[in-house]
Amino acid sequence: MSSVETAARDVAPTAETDRPVIYARGLTKVYAGGNSALAGLDLEVGRGEVFGFLGPNGAGKTTAVKLLVGLCRPSAGEAMVLGAPIGDVEVRRRIGYLPEMFRYQPWLSAVEVLAYHCDLLRLPRAGRDERIGRLLARVGLSERSKDRVARFSKGMQQRLGLAVALVAEPELVFLDEPTSALDPVGRHEVREVIRGLRSEGVSVFLNTHLLDEAQQVCDRVAVIDHGRTLAIGPLAELLSGKHRLRVSVSGLEERDWIALERFGPWARDQGWAETSGVGEEEVPELVAAMVSAGGRVHAVVPTTLNLEERFLEILGEAR
Amino acid sequence: MNTIGVVARVTVKEASRRRLLAALAAISLAMVGLSAWGFSRFTRGAGVLPSGDARASTAAALIAFMFMFSFVICLSAVVIAAPAVSGELDSGVGQSVLVRPVRRWEVLLGKWCGMAAVVAAYGVAVGALEVLVVWAVSGYHPPNPAAAIAYLVFEGLVVLTLTLTLSTVLAPMTAGAVAVALFGAAWLAGVVGTIGSTLGIGSLQTAGRVARVVLPTDGLWHGAIWYLEPASLFDRVLGRGGGRIADPFTSSGGPPVAYVVWAAAWVLLVFAAAVHRFSRTEP
Repeated sequence: MSSVETAARDVAPTAETDRPVIYARGLTKVYAGGNSALAGLDLEVGRGEVFGFLGPNGAGKTTAVKLLVGLCRPSAGEAMVLGAPIGDVEVRRRIGYLPEMFRYQPWLSAVEVLAYHCDLLRLPRAGRDERIGRLLARVGLSERSKDRVARFSKGMQQRLGLAVALVAEPELVFLDEPTSALDPVGRHEVREVIRGLRSEGVSVFLNTHLLDEAQQVCDRVAVIDHGRTLAIGPLAELLSGKHRLRVSVSGLEERDWIALERFGPWARDQGWAETSGVGEEEVPELVAAMVSAGGRVHAVVPTTLNLEERFLEILGEAR
Repeated sequence: MNTIGVVARVTVKEASRRRLLAALAAISLAMVGLSAWGFSRFTRGAGVLPSGDARASTAAALIAFMFMFSFVICLSAVVIAAPAVSGELDSGVGQSVLVRPVRRWEVLLGKWCGMAAVVAAYGVAVGALEVLVVWAVSGYHPPNPAAAIAYLVFEGLVVLTLTLTLSTVLAPMTAGAVAVALFGAAWLAGVVGTIGSTLGIGSLQTAGRVARVVLPTDGLWHGAIWYLEPASLFDRVLGRGGGRIADPFTSSGGPPVAYVVWAAAWVLLVFAAAVHRFSRTEP
């Protein structure tokens, strides 16, 4: 686990607003038959942040969300959501949830689905129509508001699911793969909705395997695999100091490359050599070492790892 | 409105929107119409029979029609309840509901109430319509049609509760198949018990009694029969007085109060089992 998380743990909450909206320690889920989906998950999500929860398929992302929203019970560990133990009935008034498997009553219209959820939330009838209208406009379903859900495409159902997740005007929203059924325009719109939620102070727990999506909207991310947190922290910190360096160099012998391994492992291909272990401050030293070994350096191209590369690197290190 | 009422209302709306109510109404009207035609033909043609025989035959035919409607009520209960829990959870519809500030027992009770309202409304409507049509066409009316219809509805509620509970454990298709099989087995066990009574075979009699306790559908059906059949007429016409026995379409006596109480307790116990299971279900 990265040192970023260790730092986060040391922050002592002082008031309701300072408390993490999600706090989990050692959250474990073992299904019947001994299949372990979560193996001691640790994480904290701060108020008002968009938190990306990343991991490969089968990493335990959806199980973690189901535990946090109270659909499943943990086998071990503890977790708090909005200051209450997970599963607390009253706290559910303050959260929204778009499930990975989003389906809504096909015999109801979009408006009726939202009204049903308003009833379940016991929201007052006054102002309800306006609230539903605003939500449907926000997710781009105004023109289909009276159509039965059975006639909706998968993408439209996902948009409706987003509206259902937001109908309570929640403090914390869990979005489990919220753009899986959407086209590029729809994905862009959902990202805008997420940004809008952040500006309103709503915390968003974004479960996704779309790393570019996470990179565009998340303040912090966690990478999990096999039910454990491998890394967690602000995106900038997670990616900082992680450079890939491409060098065009000639005239070096094999023994010189062995000596250069002290900067990191090298991949060589047609006059170019590449390593991902070199920080920006080490570049002059590296070039000097190459020149002193008799090499002729034609080009040095430093690039910052993107989230996908860093994600693969983290998974690689863990495996 | 509380959670139970909200869920019950949407459950009734589902039955309506899926055209279950319309389909049941259409097919039941057709069946009642057919029975009206049959009873009118019979009434005209039975003029040659002694009046007692004609009335007894009309009563027997009415019981047969009511048996058909009891079958439709119970199968409708199975069809409605089989996907009510596992189907919604499998499809994903249930997940967004269960994360609301609701307790699972409230959701389950709301569903039961909604489905029970559908089953009861159908049972009362079709039972009353059939009795009225037979009375209008033939002039015959059973001794206590309201009680008979109440037993029919009760039988439907037993099947509904059984299927709903199975739905918390089994996939919709399996829950439905098991419920129908158990309903059929209970009816057959009643027939076996009747054979045991007729032939004086104690073990078969006991099997029939046990079956009526384990699943009280057949016992309740015989309660409905008791209030549909004019006992004295049967005794006289069929010569069964004193020694008359029950069969799948006649009843030898009204159901004891204790049995009705047990059937109500059965519904509560089986529903409690459903709540217990549903509270531990992880979608």
